[in-house]
Amino acid sequence: MSKYNNYKKYEDFDVEDLLADEFFVQWVKSPDENNSHFWEKWLSSNPNKRGIVTQAANFARAIHYKEKLEFGNDSYIEIYEAILNSDSEIQIASPKRTLWKSFFSLRNIAAAILLSFCSFVLFSVFNKDLLTPNSEIEWVTSVNPGGKKTIIGLSDGTKIHLNSNSEITYPEVFGDSIRTVFLKGEAFLEVEKGIRPFIVELANSKIEVLGTSFNVNQSIDNHVEIALLEGKVKVNDKIGNQVMLAPQEMLVMKNNGEFFKSSFDSLEVIGWKDNYLIFNNDDFKTVESKLRNWFGIDIEVKGTFKNSWKYTGKYYDESLENVLKGIELTSDIRFRIDGKKVEIYN
Amino acid sequence: MNNNPKKQSDSIFIPVKHLETIKVFEKKSDCDIWNAFNKGDEMAFNYLYRTYVQELYQFGSQYSRDPSLVKDCIQNLFIYLRKKRGELSEVTNIKGYLFRSIQREIIKNVKANTSLKGVEDDFLEGQFEIEVSPEVSLIQNESEVERNRLVKDGIDQLTTKQRMAILLFYEEELSYKEIAEIMNFSEVKTARKLIYRALASLKEYIKTTGE
Repeated sequence: MSKYNNYKKYEDFDVEDLLADEFFVQWVKSPDENNSHFWEKWLSSNPNKRGIVTQAANFARAIHYKEKLEFGNDSYIEIYEAILNSDSEIQIASPKRTLWKSFFSLRNIAAAILLSFCSFVLFSVFNKDLLTPNSEIEWVTSVNPGGKKTIIGLSDGTKIHLNSNSEITYPEVFGDSIRTVFLKGEAFLEVEKGIRPFIVELANSKIEVLGTSFNVNQSIDNHVEIALLEGKVKVNDKIGNQVMLAPQEMLVMKNNGEFFKSSFDSLEVIGWKDNYLIFNNDDFKTVESKLRNWFGIDIEVKGTFKNSWKYTGKYYDESLENVLKGIELTSDIRFRIDGKKVEIYN
Repeated sequence: MNNNPKKQSDSIFIPVKHLETIKVFEKKSDCDIWNAFNKGDEMAFNYLYRTYVQELYQFGSQYSRDPSLVKDCIQNLFIYLRKKRGELSEVTNIKGYLFRSIQREIIKNVKANTSLKGVEDDFLEGQFEIEVSPEVSLIQNESEVERNRLVKDGIDQLTTKQRMAILLFYEEELSYKEIAEIMNFSEVKTARKLIYRALASLKEYIKTTGE
């Protein structure tokens, strides 16, 4: 075979030979640069084959299912939602089985050893250091009012994007054994890898990290959302529940103690740190509070907005006026800006 | 009022996002898309669902006339794949892989529902039926109408296996390797032979009947 180049091979082809040839069918059905280049060349050097090429091509294009079955828009959406919803039904409380399974995979052994080493360290740490806090540590607290976002670099190289109306407390220099920070509000953390565990303390829970990036959002009423972008985190609540998060998973903990996992849209959840202000089918109250936080403004609402009022939009690094103009265009609001005071009416 | 405001209404927001997903993944190889999905990339899942759900439905319906059973199987397949993220093995041809999986899932369910034995061997009536659109011939110089009727009749003479292979090869654009795997052949060349013989017998039918 290899002695003959393709030109020879295809020279003696009849219709059925062409039709049984993968490369030919590919050209007829999905022409691209590579196959077109070849077959056009071939045709020009074998002009007498034009007839059978046309026949073969017509045949290949004419074959279809007799009955065309449409999946339909309703099914499309319904099943898509059912698939995503099933994520949250995955029993959260049984991490053991999957953990053991992964122990048997060779390439995970190194990770497993590291993990057990770290848990050992953590264990000893909890037994000694944390129970008798080191008084020499200098704690720093950063507070962002509404409308202000900051990026904070910690001594270990960890980067923290702190959102508006949020507060973080961290040691000026981390101790030898553990890295702990205290968070109120929302932050996106890019935790530098290290043997010392990194702990984020929230009001009612604790996130344990090895080296990863994730978003934490804790509202005033202690509704917490933890969205993991990369790596692995372990979340413990006050009453001893423990949940592992995998990348692209979000843990939602309600203030009544209920929790579940879901997927998330990274732009919607983490976009804020790159100055994306996102509204996703938000009702008026949500839009109002997002604007208030984002721009640090006072909003006075005149008139009434129905529950059915919804707004969706995406703004990159826009001024307050442009965002309000954008909402005005599609969603029937009027506004007046007076410094840090905004009046919205309809 | 500004004539060209930077407005972002909901009618633009969603489609643009979807377009970007397609753009991002269209250029990637099946291997890369599958790896992204396995790593938990939600965009990759979105792409897989949108790209293959209609094709899975059309193909899957060949094994069951019950639309809700086929849809349930598609749903279960995606749920299963999402659960297994992180431990899925490499896939070089996503369509072939999904077709194999949905075939298995549907046959399993049909069996469970009917308790019939040997469903996968005995094809049901009306499976993989082919429609031949006009302007087709395998032999030159026939009258238009006549030759089209001949091809249609010829196709109907083929076995279900032959029709299945023909649909997978031309309509679904799967390779012989994928077809062999879906049809459970141990050798790839069996798939090629099946198509080749189907074409030869079709040609023979048209020749002898047409004269």
